[in-house]
Amino acid sequence: MSEAISVHPGAGHAVHHDGHGHHHQSFVSKYIFSQDHKTIAKQFLITGIIWAIIGGLFSVLFRLQLGYPEQSFPILETFFGNWAKGGQIQPEFYYALITMHGTVLVFFVLTAGLSGTFANFLIPLQVGARDMASPFLNMLSYWFFFLASVIMLASLFISTGPASGGWTIYPPLSALGQASSGSIRGMDFWLISMAMFIVSSLLGGINYITTILNMRTKGMSMTRLPLTIWALFFTAVLGVLSFPVLLSGAILLLFDRNLGTSFFLSDIVVNGEILPNEGGSAILFQHLFWFLGHPEVYIILLPAMGMVSEILSVNSRKPIFGYMAMLGSLFAITILAFLVWAHHMFVTGLNPFLGSIFVLLTLLIAVPSAIKVFNWLTTLWRGNIRFTPATLFAIGFVSLFISGGLTGIFLGNSTIDIHLHDTMFVVAHFHIVMGVASMFGMFAGIYHWFPKMFGRYLNNTLGYIHFWVTMIGAYLIFWPMHYQGLAGIPRRYLDKRGWVSFNDFPELDKMITIVSIIVFAVQLMFVFNFFYSIFKGRKVRNKNPWGANTLEWTTPLRPGHGNWDGEIPEVHRWAYDYGKDGREFIPQTEEIGENESKH
Amino acid sequence: MATTTVHQTKWWSGGKSPFNMEYGKLMMWYFLMSDAFTFGAFLISYGSIRFSQNFWPDPNVVFNAFPGAGHANLPLAFVSVMTFILIISSVTMVLAVHAGHKGDKQGVMKWMVWTIIGGLAFLGCQAWEWHHLITGEHAVLANGQIEMIGQTMGGNPWGNIVHDNAALTAALNNTSHETLVQLVHSHDHSHTATELAAMTDVQLRGMVDLAEMHIREKGPIAFGGYFFGITGFHGFHVFSGVVINIIMLIMTQKDVFKNRGHYLMIEKAGLYWHFVDLVWVFVFLCFYLI
Amino acid sequence: MEHPAFEEVTVHHEHQDDATFKKKVRKTTILLSVITIIELAIGLIIYTMHKGESPSELLVLMFKGVVCILTLAKAYYIVSIFMHLGDEIRNMIMTIVVPLLLFVWFIIAFIYEGNSYKNLRNTYDKHFKETTTPVKHHKAEAPAAEPKSGKE
Repeated sequence: MSEAISVHPGAGHAVHHDGHGHHHQSFVSKYIFSQDHKTIAKQFLITGIIWAIIGGLFSVLFRLQLGYPEQSFPILETFFGNWAKGGQIQPEFYYALITMHGTVLVFFVLTAGLSGTFANFLIPLQVGARDMASPFLNMLSYWFFFLASVIMLASLFISTGPASGGWTIYPPLSALGQASSGSIRGMDFWLISMAMFIVSSLLGGINYITTILNMRTKGMSMTRLPLTIWALFFTAVLGVLSFPVLLSGAILLLFDRNLGTSFFLSDIVVNGEILPNEGGSAILFQHLFWFLGHPEVYIILLPAMGMVSEILSVNSRKPIFGYMAMLGSLFAITILAFLVWAHHMFVTGLNPFLGSIFVLLTLLIAVPSAIKVFNWLTTLWRGNIRFTPATLFAIGFVSLFISGGLTGIFLGNSTIDIHLHDTMFVVAHFHIVMGVASMFGMFAGIYHWFPKMFGRYLNNTLGYIHFWVTMIGAYLIFWPMHYQGLAGIPRRYLDKRGWVSFNDFPELDKMITIVSIIVFAVQLMFVFNFFYSIFKGRKVRNKNPWGANTLEWTTPLRPGHGNWDGEIPEVHRWAYDYGKDGREFIPQTEEIGENESKH
Repeated sequence: MATTTVHQTKWWSGGKSPFNMEYGKLMMWYFLMSDAFTFGAFLISYGSIRFSQNFWPDPNVVFNAFPGAGHANLPLAFVSVMTFILIISSVTMVLAVHAGHKGDKQGVMKWMVWTIIGGLAFLGCQAWEWHHLITGEHAVLANGQIEMIGQTMGGNPWGNIVHDNAALTAALNNTSHETLVQLVHSHDHSHTATELAAMTDVQLRGMVDLAEMHIREKGPIAFGGYFFGITGFHGFHVFSGVVINIIMLIMTQKDVFKNRGHYLMIEKAGLYWHFVDLVWVFVFLCFYLI
Repeated sequence: MEHPAFEEVTVHHEHQDDATFKKKVRKTTILLSVITIIELAIGLIIYTMHKGESPSELLVLMFKGVVCILTLAKAYYIVSIFMHLGDEIRNMIMTIVVPLLLFVWFIIAFIYEGNSYKNLRNTYDKHFKETTTPVKHHKAEAPAAEPKSGKE
């Protein structure tokens, strides 16, 4: 925990003074242990993409099981040996797959990959700073994430398998080796990896907050910040205040697993043997987990919201509608995110009175969310929209956020939740509103800022194919799940054939599986597009290809460490002067003219 | 403080810190804030478990020993010594930071040394207390027999006092020879352990003074887990604080800060150290006082 | 001997002269010590009350509340004087204090939940209730003190 102060003071400022001259750097210090925020952002992005492929592959594998429980796929046995004996996915393997799918996508892709990438890339560029407040801690943040990745990856290869108690790792399932083979050793790897991950996200988050507060260039007042920065700011606040609570929970769980304590265990009999644990409360862990877990949802969602706001405004050539309302709703969401965690636990035996307070607070979130949706729609309204892939993905985000958000109102009511809890309805809800929606935000961000990151464009045609297949695919995969859930089909079941009432939709399950394989293939196409375009894409010749106002487009085509060659530009206006006084866009660096109308 | 400037400055307009604070110190504050949530989560989950129990050991009964005082009943005495050590070391840290403001290298070094000594003394006290709790065995009635257990992660000897003498006498009959020897030896110092070991179980049973023993049931297991877990995590913070302070001391001695022109690192280390003290205030409250 | 300007720092902190500073530190130290001693005294009072035949629950709770308030006072002095937060500008104080308000709901919800868990178990788990509820000190008939035979 002492990293925070072992840094050389003024490390951030060394950059300020000699950032102009590009020193000759060795390969290692330029690309591996780089302290340049842009390189670190790319490191986060590429690690995130690798994890996304792995996590996506997991989902394809268990979708195979769900769609074709009776069929055997000999190729699986070739790859996974005993885990897929006779070409059939074994129960332990299935649970490991869903657990790791959740863990990898929630934490490694949509937290580190999303906010790690774009917070690192955009914050210094958009607030007008040479680099992060502390580039050294920023580098450390990535390498802790790397360490976490390595440990998690290693857990996939141990003989008893990775953690398999669900990504929410509820004890006693996660605390006792008797519960599942993944809980024998895999869970220890999971917890240690997560501790590293938390250190990484704390180092990152503290850095983001400090940079946004302290390093803004002259004239960049808080209300002139682009909404991306505000969203990333609140994301960092959420992370810094909620991740430590998961750290506590993880440490206590490690104790329960390895040191014989009884924080979360009580009165357990396994195969007739009475375990010595006494007096713990399994619900306590769920409280600790969801105290992080719920803010985590917004840690995933807010960066996407911020980028979507920016991209929609730039590409509809209109100022963002209701900037202050957007700010207010971001703030409200941040506060509420901390207060509503127990709405994930309505059926655990939570005190019903406490539950009703959580219902009230949860339903309040609908207000700021709706404000944001209306503002996005009004921003698009009568805009001069350029349908770039980034715009399409941003619009797709809004669509998914509405569809997924509405089902959230159902689930937020404890009375309805008691019926729908742990059914496919929940799976559909959170995948649409948080999983796929944030993924769309991430794609939008990648398509939009790729030219700034790599100096080349992504291929547009592939981009359009990517969008339409993913968009239609997402709805085809997750929309039917609502009906399955309403019909009472539970999630996390390996094989539903044994229950008459759960076996109503075998054809639907097959369809979902086929679509998910197609969508996964298209994601691979995107990955190809990504890596191909880094080296062979069309070169960017215009410093400001999208005609955007924000500061990152005033930097050179390929900015070095330090971002601006000369002085950092001063800011004179907000970021959303599009279509004002007959001009298509007015960059933030332009001084306000004498006869200019007010916005 | 130039108050007029403070009021006229447009703090949020960019190009400056809205808090008038350099980034390193600000990061330290936010790190401490998140650390406060780690400790907060520990202590709050401790509270939650404690509220979910019908019985919780009285800290005055558990923590009543003092080094060198034998079996004297001195509740709260040792922990108050620990608390004062930490408060005093916090004061010396304040003085070190103050000396740093004045650029007084000798002053910084002097007070840093005292702070480090304070930290080490605290760690020593904690080590003694842990050792005493783990090795100090107490008689408990469990599963129809009497056992000697220490305060560990998985066991707690501080349950309800058993008043049912019939049950105790019955339990004595099921109790092992070794335990009987320990039982007698704990209140009867006229015989050596070897002499006692040579006696028969019947003789030993006759010598056990049940009224004197205050035999208890086993207490809530979570007590030990939380106590060792949280004081351990705090002790880890003290330890890393000591390490940081030693590094700062060496850097001061090597004139690193003098050449840099400021002693801000001492200030940051100081913030961390005070935070450790702050956490102890709450640990002290939760485990020892209430 | 001021530190060279960090770009972002606008107003230099002026540090108090030695005499006022030392006085302030001395005052705070004494204050912290006195509060600690009062806390210890209350702790001992609670201890003696527990030793008595039937401690008044309300009085014990009240004493514990007083200790909690005293601890918050201690925390205030440490943060404000030792960590110099009191000398920072208002913006800075707010950025630290406001997020800590989250603890209010955090504590209320967790404690309430713990208490509710106890009530649930006492209602539905007879064994738990019988084996863990402290019994009053009646030497003749002590029902709960029968030897435990493990869990059912």
